[in-house]
This record gives sequence, C-alpha cells and structure tokens, in this order.
Amino acid sequence: MTDSRSLPLAGIRVLDFGHIVAGPFCVRMLADLGADVVKVETSTRQGRTGARRNRPRNAGASGRTPHLAQINRNRRSIDLNLKTERGRDIALQLIGVADVLVENFSSGVMERLGLGYESLAPLNPRLVYTSMSAFGHTGPRSGWTGMNVTLQACSGLMLATGEAGDPPIGISNSWNDYVGGLHAAVAIVGALDRRRVSGKGCHLDVSQFECSVATIGSLLLASAVSGQPPARLGSRSTETAPQGCYRCAGEDQWCAISVATDAQWRALVSVLGARAASLGTLGLASAAERLRHHDEIDAAITSWTSTLNPAEVERRLGALGVPAAAMRRGHDLTEVEEWRQILRPLEGPGSNGAKVIGLPFMFRGSAPVVATEAPRIGATGREALREWLQLDDGAIVELLPEVPA
Amino acid sequence: MARILDLTSAAGAYGTRLLAELGHDVLRVEARDGDAIRRMEPLLGAAADLERGAFHQFLNAGKRSLALDFASDQARRLLGALAAKSDAIVASLPLPLEEGALLAANPDLVLVRLDDGPPELCALARSGLLAITGEPEGKPTMLGGHVPYAAIGIYVALAAAAALFEKSASGAGRIVDVSAVQCLAALAEQIWVEYSVSGEALERMGSRGGITALAGALPCADGHWMISVPPEPRGWANFVELVPDPAFKDDASLADEALRRERKHEILDRIALWSAQQKKRDIVEEAQRLHIPAATVANPLELVDDPQLLARGFLRPVDHPDFSRINFPTGALASLWGQGLSFAPHLGQDSAAILGELGYETAEIDRLAQDGIVKR
Repeated sequence: MTDSRSLPLAGIRVLDFGHIVAGPFCVRMLADLGADVVKVETSTRQGRTGARRNRPRNAGASGRTPHLAQINRNRRSIDLNLKTERGRDIALQLIGVADVLVENFSSGVMERLGLGYESLAPLNPRLVYTSMSAFGHTGPRSGWTGMNVTLQACSGLMLATGEAGDPPIGISNSWNDYVGGLHAAVAIVGALDRRRVSGKGCHLDVSQFECSVATIGSLLLASAVSGQPPARLGSRSTETAPQGCYRCAGEDQWCAISVATDAQWRALVSVLGARAASLGTLGLASAAERLRHHDEIDAAITSWTSTLNPAEVERRLGALGVPAAAMRRGHDLTEVEEWRQILRPLEGPGSNGAKVIGLPFMFRGSAPVVATEAPRIGATGREALREWLQLDDGAIVELLPEVPA
Repeated sequence: MARILDLTSAAGAYGTRLLAELGHDVLRVEARDGDAIRRMEPLLGAAADLERGAFHQFLNAGKRSLALDFASDQARRLLGALAAKSDAIVASLPLPLEEGALLAANPDLVLVRLDDGPPELCALARSGLLAITGEPEGKPTMLGGHVPYAAIGIYVALAAAAALFEKSASGAGRIVDVSAVQCLAALAEQIWVEYSVSGEALERMGSRGGITALAGALPCADGHWMISVPPEPRGWANFVELVPDPAFKDDASLADEALRRERKHEILDRIALWSAQQKKRDIVEEAQRLHIPAATVANPLELVDDPQLLARGFLRPVDHPDFSRINFPTGALASLWGQGLSFAPHLGQDSAAILGELGYETAEIDRLAQDGIVKR
C-alpha cells in the first residue's frame, strides 16, 4: 500500500496571528493535518517564550526557545509590524486569500489593529476567523486576562484533582493552552465543513475557560443537580478497587496499579504472598468490599511495591494480567511503546537529529506527519508572498526589502 | 451534516459529543442493557437507574440511542445496514463487526478506530503526565473528573472531523487509527522537550505550578485564589500595586523575573500572609482591574451559576426531564454556534425511529423488539 494520499486539510490556508502557546498550538494541529500555514509575527515584540525562558541555552536555531520552536513548526514566518500601514497592508492581502485566521490576543487587540472580524468579513466573506481569548469576547469577564494556571484554577480542574483536604492541584505544563488549542482546531474543521455548504465563513469566539470547564462538564452537571461539590477521589476509582499510585523503592518512584476484575485482584494477592496475610478474607473480596477497605489494601500493596523498582512492579504484575504502569518522567519515556510510535524526526538544517512529537493518530493511506523546524522570525516571508499572492520577485522585494538570514 | 455511529467507550465519548456539538447526527449504539458510561458515578438517581448518571447525561447529550443485542446475527446484519447508511463510525476496539465487513457495507466510510489502551490511571503513567500532577513532596495523582478521557476525546473528535471534512470534498472515506496513550503522550510534549534539551525532568508543582516565575494558588479567607505575574516589567509594577507589602515595593531587584524565580516560595509565602485576610473575589476583581491574570480557584459547584458561562450560553437554564430546572452545560463548541443540545437519550429511545430511517417496516421493528434484538 502506498502512502500517497494527501492529508485532509491539504490546500487550506491558515494565517497564524497566535502568540505564546494556545494559538500557535491550535495552528500546529491544522498544519500537522496538512494545512498551508503562514505565521504573522513581529521582530519588534517577540512572542513570550514559555517554559524556563531565563536559561541562556534556550535560543535554538530559529531564535525561539525549544518549546516554542516545537509549537511553531510546519509553517512559514513573515515579519510584519501591524502598527505600520505597510505591515497592515500586507497582512490584509494575505487575509484576502486565507481560509482560516487564528488569533489568541485579549479582547480588543485585533480591533485596535483594524483586524477585527467585522472589518475583515467584507474583504473575505469565506474567512473562518478564530479568536481564542481567555474568557471569550462577550460576557461580563470578556475583558479579563488569563493564563494557563489561572484558567486551570477557575475552570474547576484544580479542585477536581487531588484528595479531600489537599490544596488545589495543578498540572505542571501548559495544559490549558493545549486543551483550548485542540478544541479550537475541532471547531475550525467543523466550520470549514459548514462553509462548504453555506459558502460563508464565520467568527469562532472560542473561550479557553469554557474549553477547560467542558472537560469536567459531568462534574458541573452533578453539582448542579446535587448541590454538592464533587468528591476529590485522588487516584481512586468509584467503580473498581484497588487503584492508585504506589510508592516503590528509590526516590520519588511510583507505580500505577488499576485492578478491574476479581481475577486481577486474586492475581495481585498471590503476588503479595505473605504480605497479603494482613488482608485476611479481603483476599476474596468483591469490588464493593475492596472499595470499602481501600486503605488497608493500599497498605498491604505498598509494603510489597516499596521493596521493588517501579519497572519491576510493572513487569511482575503485567505478567499476571494485572494492569500496572511505572510512572514515566523523561529519560524513560522511550521505553514505552506508544512513545516510540509517536516520535518523528525533525526535518531541517538546524534540527540536529532531534525527535519531536507527531500526531497521536494515523490517517491510513497517507505518510505520517512530517515535522519541519520552525523558521526564524520572518525568514520565509518572501516565500509566503510568492505562493499565496503569486507576486513576482520585484514586487516581493519591494514589499519585504529585508529578511533575516 | 453527517450521520455518525458512536461505539466508543468512556475514553472516546467526549469526542463523539463534540461531533454532536458541531451539528452532526450522532447515534450512540449500545448494548441492550446499557453500557458502562451509564453506570459511571456520580449517579444522580438510584443505583439501578441507567438514566441519571452524570457522565451519561453530559457525554451523551446531543446523541440518539439505539440499543441492541450485539451477540445476535440479526443485530450484526442491522449494524451492516447502519454502516451502509452512515458517513462515519467512531468506535473503541474491538469493532463490533470486522473492518472488512464494515467497508464492504460502505466503501466510503470514515472509520475512526480508538485503541483505548490500559486503564486510565495506567495510561496517564505511561504518557508521563502523571509525573507532573500532584504535590512535589506528595504522591502523583490522577487528573480528576476523568479529564484524561476528555483529552483523548478531543483528539478523537479532531481526527473524525478532519476525515469527515475530507469526505465531504472528495466523497472518499478514510480509516484513522487513534491511540489513547499516544493522545496523552502528545499532551506531555513539554516533558519530552525539556528532557531532550536539558536532560532534566519537569517536576510536580502542585498548587504552585506555572510557567511564569511567580505563580501559585494561595489561601484567602474563603478558599484559594491563583496568581500568575506576567514576565514583563509592567506585570511586576501592577502586582506591587495590588499587594501593598513594602518588602516588595522597596526591593527593586524583584522587577527582574529571573530573580523572582529564585525567590519564588519566599515571595509566595509573603503574598499568602496578606491574602489570607481577604476574600477571593475581592482580590481577583482588583487584580483584573490592574490587568493581572488572577483567578479564583473554583470547585465545580461554584461554576454552576457562573455569570460568564451563563452569558455566553455555555450554561443554559433548562427544564430537564430527569432533573427539573438546572443550568445545563451545553459545551465549548455548541455555544459557538449558539445552539443547545438535546438531552441525553434514554436507553433505546431512538431505536424504532432509526430503524425506520433504515427502511425497516413497523412490523419488522416490532418483531426485532419482541425477539430481544433491539430495545426501544
């Protein structure tokens, strides 16, 4: 079988006005699905650079931090100062031939640049104009600013996670940006589908806050009906037991164990050997009884896991069909089969053999995602004008007299 | 819009909900006695009630329900007939009919196959995400509310929506293979970037996480609030106006984000002394007036009448047939198009109507119901 089919979004032109993570990550999803992307950015105010930005080693070949270089892969970059008439004029020409525009500024920023949806729709009625502000451009909090951690906090996520009595628990990455970016990408593809029928574009006013709230929509519904906040369950399940993260030998070493059936439970008890003695008749208990005696069971399991490294716990339980997984943290991720499958080589002269994360799905009949390193700001601006506007070299040099090497 | 057969487990069901939010006709095909999602807690009715589970009510909103006895030959034929008249099938493995049989019934089918992988907590551990969730000195912990399932679901929706878009242009179907563990691994990208660049691991930061130097959930008189001080000089200048502590105002070195990072916990502890006397809404409203990204740390109950969610139609006041009057969470995409969603269907509620659309006569439908092949 050949991998010759083009990807689903081939031929769709996306203009990326995004900055930091959420907007550019959304655009990367579209690029990885085959879209043709031009990023509009300005060397006068470089995008904020994300994780660990204060370290000197951060600037890579593209002049971006490794994190932002990843997020901004698979696109061209044009350096435009949108506060000048010249910059704005070029942007408007690109907007005129784009299918999708993505921006994640605070409310009012694009309007002040003369690039709000109302002013652009007459120029390109087919444009799917996508805003991704923290709270959306309408409602009483439309003017509020938000960042990943504040959105994790106010969306309910931090109090849905952890155990009763714990402080709010966050996730130490740009979680909310990813969740917002992915939802926006789904909305954009849906809007393109609708456009095929209606012939019309639209303004997608995505709220990153709502995207995160939606991921715990069931808990909101439960709270609305019961009038109670949901229980904080830690790593436990309401249906099966035991389930948890168990301490293993070594510093901060853990193994996740999730027993779903009585047979798995009996297999786990057999591994515990003499340590199961403290469990007494619980060795034959039903899921409901195991849920009631979770603390005792956890103590017996920990007395065993704490003598072994997590990979060994995973191996011994796995051999008996008991679901277990060592907590992976960086150096050991590529020991996981699914991790090896998702890594792709980064293409480009500055890539130095780096491997990056592709898409977690495969479109059969097409080759896997090709990941091409992010350009320096503005480095491929002339190429963008040539291909999108079909201008000749003279006209291009006139519009962009200088580009970085 | 497209007709989509939804045969996902809990790991994929948020994805098919998003497809319903996009306006597609999503048919939830489930076993005669109801599937596991209907039994997920919290249950908002009696234990045996298959209609009042919170996850069922949220995840299956906007869908129709066809319930059948998968083991029977007649049900397998029925599934083939359904596949022939559908645009897409989104299903957790194993498929209810072999891939070849489905494609024989409909060569232009979009078929999204989700490999659910190991149980949710184990998938999280394999992905790396578990290592960055929890208190730094305490245990790693699951993301609550089955959020990992929702995250997987968004990727499922993206894969399916892209394939449907392609089909509406070319007419051709597509098979897409989705791995749940890979979805979570994709969201652990920063761990990989950090490790491959510096050899270091991202660590758990609990309540004091964040990419900016000064970020953390801090106690106040009525709960917690979250602050993240923007890295630009103006961010610090605004912050000093919010928190009237001379130790901050008088220390010019703190205008430098790198120096703030070194003294993060000392500074956060001082802010906490001040905020412990304040109410969270007061702090946050004042902070936002100063353009500081601060937020209340909310629990889900505090969100059920949130004015922002109500104003934008994410929450809709409805007379719910199973729960009386509540603010129903329509969804982050449904609210973009200003449309509500139908309530989650009762088990088999749409079986007869769907069979009718397939061309089954009323007498045949009656017989299938009497024989226990379908529930209506």
